[in-house]
Amino acid sequence: MSDQPAPRLAIRGLTKAFGGVHALSRADLTVMPGEIHGLLGKNGSGKSTLIKILSGFHAPDEGSLQINGRPIALPIPLEKSAAHGLAFVHQNLGLLADATVLENLIAGDYDRLNPWAINWGAEAARARRLFADHHLALNPHDPVSALSPVERAQLAVVRAADRVQVHRAHGFGGVLVLDEPTPFLPIEDVRVLFATMRRLTATGVSIIFVSHDIDEVMEITDRSTVLRDGEVIGSFETATTARAQIVAAIVGRSMTTERVIGAYTPSASPAVRIAGLSGQIVRDIGFEVRPGEILGLTGLIGSGYDEIPYLLSGATSARQGQLHLPPDQHDLPRMTPAGAVAAGIALIPADRQRAGLALDLSLTENLTLPLLGRSQSALMLNHRALASITAEIMARFAVKADGPRQPASELSGGNQQKLVLGKWLQLGPRLVLLDEPTQGIDVGARREIYDRLVELCRGGTCVICATSEFEQLETIAHRVLVFDRGRIKAELAGDQVTKSAIAHACYQENRTHATA
Amino acid sequence: MRQPNLAFQVERFGLVIVWVAVILLFGALKPDTFLTWSNFSTIFGSEAVLVIVTLGLVVPLTAGDFDLSIAQVLTFVSMLTAILSAKLGVPLWVIIPTILAAGALVGAINGALTLYFRVHSLIVTLGVGTFLHGITLWISDSQTIGGVARGLMQWTIIERFLGIPIAFYYAIGLAAVMWYVLSYTAFGQQLLFTGRGREVGRLTGIAVGRVRLLSFVVSGVMGAIAGLLYTGTTGSANPSSGTMLLLPAFAAAFLGATCINPGRFNPWGSVVAVYFLVTGINGLSVLGFRTFVQDLFYGGALVVAVMVSQLVSGRKERNL
Repeated sequence: MSDQPAPRLAIRGLTKAFGGVHALSRADLTVMPGEIHGLLGKNGSGKSTLIKILSGFHAPDEGSLQINGRPIALPIPLEKSAAHGLAFVHQNLGLLADATVLENLIAGDYDRLNPWAINWGAEAARARRLFADHHLALNPHDPVSALSPVERAQLAVVRAADRVQVHRAHGFGGVLVLDEPTPFLPIEDVRVLFATMRRLTATGVSIIFVSHDIDEVMEITDRSTVLRDGEVIGSFETATTARAQIVAAIVGRSMTTERVIGAYTPSASPAVRIAGLSGQIVRDIGFEVRPGEILGLTGLIGSGYDEIPYLLSGATSARQGQLHLPPDQHDLPRMTPAGAVAAGIALIPADRQRAGLALDLSLTENLTLPLLGRSQSALMLNHRALASITAEIMARFAVKADGPRQPASELSGGNQQKLVLGKWLQLGPRLVLLDEPTQGIDVGARREIYDRLVELCRGGTCVICATSEFEQLETIAHRVLVFDRGRIKAELAGDQVTKSAIAHACYQENRTHATA
Repeated sequence: MRQPNLAFQVERFGLVIVWVAVILLFGALKPDTFLTWSNFSTIFGSEAVLVIVTLGLVVPLTAGDFDLSIAQVLTFVSMLTAILSAKLGVPLWVIIPTILAAGALVGAINGALTLYFRVHSLIVTLGVGTFLHGITLWISDSQTIGGVARGLMQWTIIERFLGIPIAFYYAIGLAAVMWYVLSYTAFGQQLLFTGRGREVGRLTGIAVGRVRLLSFVVSGVMGAIAGLLYTGTTGSANPSSGTMLLLPAFAAAFLGATCINPGRFNPWGSVVAVYFLVTGINGLSVLGFRTFVQDLFYGGALVVAVMVSQLVSGRKERNL
């Protein structure tokens, strides 16, 4: 396996399986000196597994890694990656907002610092020189909280570069891995960050740029590698490759998924109307849901689709917006969770462990919490009746457990989710909001959850499901709204709701095809 | 609470078994001084105050908050009672509602500061408690004040039922009320979710802020009741009386959470834990050990209690 000049980083045959499923299968990746190399793929394509192996989080089952021709044993211990010339910037940037720029810059730089005597004056001078080299106008003594989002991203990138540049004394530049650093940055700020990256590669550093955003990858990378279902589909010279070719590689030719929902037609008149909704990311969104309809919401990371269930249920407060749920009109900035429950709205949150269930508490306590004070007298709880209600719902929703008194923590993810679903559906809601309802759930339980949702449709409930899994939408959604940077970019309905059509809509160029 | 099997029953009643063993041990060593009804009736009566302070702590602890000011509420209320009764001659039927309101007010202040400024309750109540202690020293001129109305003592310590001072029955009555509220009312479940799954509770429509505020008010009122009984028990108010009760109450609350309803702060567990602790201390002092055993015992019990509960729950990271 020899390319023309010696590669900066060469991964060969990297394989990793989780419980028999290959997250990564014989993956190769070659990054040349001074190159910006894009790494592309959908959720679950193996991108993050590859990055986690490089950063020492996972040990691979097979495969080798060479940096500058030297074999490196895998897994790499966390504290050793900088010594091998590897540095990482993850999406959350790893900055402490309360600390100063300087404190963040030197945090963890133990190879260079004397832990018993930090010379703050010399470090500040060094930081100023470093920032000047990278054309950054940062004051080392400012708190990071005072920095703009793009300045924070730049600081994180420069910090990572500084760690590997220490090793340029050994005669080679390092490899920087930028794992989705841009989804929350506006486009003009992304360009600023790109300029920083370009200046770095000019000094011989190589960059692996992980992103969902094809436009960004087309703009900044020299070459890119596409992963799908754990396999490398191909590596491309970005400049000579058509955008459509990369999209095709990412999306693939999908096998058709059974459209469970196909047989059920929602009624024609809208039951729920949302108008002028604005939150943290979404801006002035409006849409309708009909009785018996499952509406899917999706988009790339940072597009804002996943905010909507929380905004509609008052879990996070909206900046603006109206929810019309006949006969009531709700002003969303004033919506509270209690108000949502009273209005017949149920939220199934994505964070099952924290927001879905109190794991320490029993199945009965979790399941019957919304009943207290409704069907149960608030001043004289009948524990026997509560346990039998629980047993009945556990049977109806096929929750496998020892009994109603078992703590929720002892259940599998699938059974926990069925329990959450049972908790809310027993109230007979009119609008059900779901966020990633099948995250971390096995195939069997997934199917059972889909069956429940279809059953809801038959009963005329409105269902809104936010998810990043396109296959799930093909299976259960009547209609899908695709979001991009806080706005609805495309709407797919009926036969158009396919995995590949959704993926194409997500990766579509914004500027030419934008619709509202 | 799973299937009633032997291991689980041993866990539930483990502390009761240890308590009985301690009684038997000291009884065997000092049968004529330790194992007497008068010794036990004194313990039951005089430690009723500690039981009530512990019960007061259980409410905010269940909701996930600390109330370090409860012991200073006790001291302040005790002093207020003594001053109103002995110095100003105010009748008891005026004093009692006044001091209960004072306790509720302190609780409301704790709650409001914790919730509005989103400061950890540990810090807020530490500050408020110390501030209250300052007020207590100020209004009492750092003196012990005696001579409270005899009626208070009569209905605290002098009146007896089955040989045990009536204060004990107040404590047991409060434990029963709290047990009912925690186990059989929607409010009890709301309190539990506020402590153990605050986000789950919030999304299910529980007004978690209001629940937390109310839990501080309840602990303030319980502190006031304890203060009233403390004055009745000793017939006087001492400006540093409550300071010695804070740690024992925490030790008992945490130790109580390892029994009866293991894994949860619970009133009957707290009652058992208080009497287990004071029995141990009483026994050791009967054997001739001096006052340092109190600190060894209470401090040790607090650490052992949290160790045991962590071992039982598999050493998961937790906030409380």
